[in-house]
Amino acid sequence: MSGHRRIWAGWATLAGLVLFWFGLTTWTGIVSAGRFPSPAAFWLSLVQIMTRGYAGGQLVTHAWHSLELVAMGFLVAIATGVPLGLWIGWSRRAEAAINPVFLIIRPIPPLAWIPLAILWLGLGDAAKIMVIWFAAFVPSVINTFSGVRTIERPVIEAAQMLGTPLWRFVIEILSPAAAPMIFTGMRLSLQAAWTTLVAAELVGALVGVGVVLNVAQQDIYPGMILVGMLTVGVLGFATTWLLSRVEHRVLAWNVAAKD
Amino acid sequence: MSGRPLSLGETIAWGLAGLILFLGIWTTLSISGLVPRQFLPTPLGVITRFVQLLTTPFAGATLPQHLASSFQRYLSGMMLAALVGVPLGLLMGWFRLLDDILSPIFEGLRFIAPIAWVPFAALWFGTGIGGPVMIIFAGAFPPCLINAYRGARFVDPRLIEASQMLGTGHLRTILEVLLPASIPSIVAGLRVAAGLGWQSLVGAELIVAAAGVGFMMVQAQANVSTPTVMTGMIAIGIAGMLIDVLLRYGEALILRRRGLVV
Amino acid sequence: MGSIRFDSVNKVFGGVKALDDINLEIAEKEFVAIVGPSGCGKTTCLRIVAGFETPTSGIVSVNGKRVTAPGPDRAVVFQQFVLFPWKTVRQNIDLGLRNKNFAGDERERLIRSVLDLMNLESYADAFPHQLSGGMQQRVAIARAYVLDPEVLLMDEPFGALDAQTRVLMQEELVRLSRVNPRTVLFITHSVEEAVYLADRVAIMTRRPGRIKEVLDIKTVRNEERWNRFQRIEDVMDLDSFIHLRTHVWKSLREEKREDRQ
Repeated sequence: MSGHRRIWAGWATLAGLVLFWFGLTTWTGIVSAGRFPSPAAFWLSLVQIMTRGYAGGQLVTHAWHSLELVAMGFLVAIATGVPLGLWIGWSRRAEAAINPVFLIIRPIPPLAWIPLAILWLGLGDAAKIMVIWFAAFVPSVINTFSGVRTIERPVIEAAQMLGTPLWRFVIEILSPAAAPMIFTGMRLSLQAAWTTLVAAELVGALVGVGVVLNVAQQDIYPGMILVGMLTVGVLGFATTWLLSRVEHRVLAWNVAAKD
Repeated sequence: MSGRPLSLGETIAWGLAGLILFLGIWTTLSISGLVPRQFLPTPLGVITRFVQLLTTPFAGATLPQHLASSFQRYLSGMMLAALVGVPLGLLMGWFRLLDDILSPIFEGLRFIAPIAWVPFAALWFGTGIGGPVMIIFAGAFPPCLINAYRGARFVDPRLIEASQMLGTGHLRTILEVLLPASIPSIVAGLRVAAGLGWQSLVGAELIVAAAGVGFMMVQAQANVSTPTVMTGMIAIGIAGMLIDVLLRYGEALILRRRGLVV
Repeated sequence: MGSIRFDSVNKVFGGVKALDDINLEIAEKEFVAIVGPSGCGKTTCLRIVAGFETPTSGIVSVNGKRVTAPGPDRAVVFQQFVLFPWKTVRQNIDLGLRNKNFAGDERERLIRSVLDLMNLESYADAFPHQLSGGMQQRVAIARAYVLDPEVLLMDEPFGALDAQTRVLMQEELVRLSRVNPRTVLFITHSVEEAVYLADRVAIMTRRPGRIKEVLDIKTVRNEERWNRFQRIEDVMDLDSFIHLRTHVWKSLREEKREDRQ
């Protein structure tokens, strides 16, 4: 089975990678300690930030703070983006009215909102939530919209034939029918949220994984840079995994999602 | 969906109404002083500033000059991503062992936001051109690799069998069967890469650069010049859109030559 | 309750005439099938009664009331079943009842009886994708039946099923309309199906869609007592059946020939 093969290959690669890492840094010194940390240096940095703290807090504090901001921005984006997507997907007039404005705002990459957010809201949490919101908003609107537009006409006719009132139609027909695409949008939104948060924290913040990266860069501290990067990776992985669990639950009826 | 598609006239009318409402609210907020003028200039103020910056330097250069240095980094990063990502993807699609070794690594790296490479990029390549180029590379590389890989992996097996039957070697099969068959997928990947690369460029310039549109925006933010920040946003948006339009056109051209779209 | 009336109905799609002066009256508890070549507009007739399309001119009325919009008094069974894949069998059947504001225990009772009627008891909590095509169409029929609609509109309901399942479903429908007769408008392109199921068969011509002939089946069926047979193949062996079927076939074939000229 190819799944098993994949897992074995994964472990083998990881082992090879660690050996390679030791080889290049500790054993031969081909890569100097000022460029990339040795496993020992990485371990010491990890212990330091976990126990004594670094850049104004322990790793848990930084990670938790970033996680909170991403969760908040992401949820606000979903709570606004999905209803807007449903609305412009359903109503041709709403689509026509909102499309031009959307066409102007959409090409601006989320990261380009960071200076404006800092101007408006300063270096605190509010500015971060605002940029994450903007970053995560666009994919959730677009995917919800196309989710609604790809609903097959008979599904809507069946609901009409059964005399379904509007609000029930939106909740029980429109939303679930668009749900697979809504989740696609949510995955993209989540990715955008993390990228934007890290960038925003690198530009300026007091606590968070981006701050760890930023301070470590200024201190020229490769071990801590690696700790920061891996933390970003682990957090990204954990939230993506969580979202996919939710998706699996919610879309249990969807045959395509079962694969 | 609900009802029939609107006529062209209706679409334009509703679109105009939406635009006017959007610009109207913006202007009202700005003129009424509900939001201080300093933080929210009128749309007209932003356009005036945009035109001004075409000739007047800010943060050491005019807007076109900033754009030029942004583009220089962008193109270097994109070329590098395509030149490394596409061949590597094809090789991974062809050699099973390489796939087994490299896939887990990229699978793991996927979760690290490209922008998190900034500290190492600055440490290894400096903040001039090398650092930003590496970050653009970090953003644009994955789609180049993945799409070339998928393209190669899902090539019609009959094509490969036909080429093997003719006694074609590895290298020639890759160059003359795998590569051409994967072109549609690769081009689609390049388009995604272009968007992500552009986004990474903006991030890189905001954090580590001494020129470019992103740098201009950070400087403007420090000087509380909101019209300049917004000018930067618009310039970035327009440039990004042009890149996308260009690539879409190229994609359509290639697909049409392949007879894949009518 | 439950008559359907087409009064000089015309329908034009983008300059092309799809229906030309359709006049048809379906009495209460009568089962009328429309047969015709594909593209003759038979489905359009049904969609107008359902309220999904509006006629370009003329009036369609159900029970003397003009049709303007879709509603649960005219339940539709679609060719592709169109169950809501995110709802279980029970929830699919329940939606229409909830829309009609039935009380909880009343809904439960109706659902249980219709599940029983359609032999679906053990599948109440299954999702549609877990069921075969035939089972899905049973659910769709149950979903329509439970509403106790004035008229039942069936748009090639067995067209997507394999031949064996199709026969079983046809027999089932005959059984059902004996237990619980309804006004039915049934669209099909299968001549055998129409003659086997319907009280009257309307034959439609193509471009523009026009009703060429309406054939009475019920009289023959009662005289020849088709009802004594359980199985479709026994009915199909009867001379009276063969005679009617051949009549419809000829009528359709003449139409094809005219078409070619």
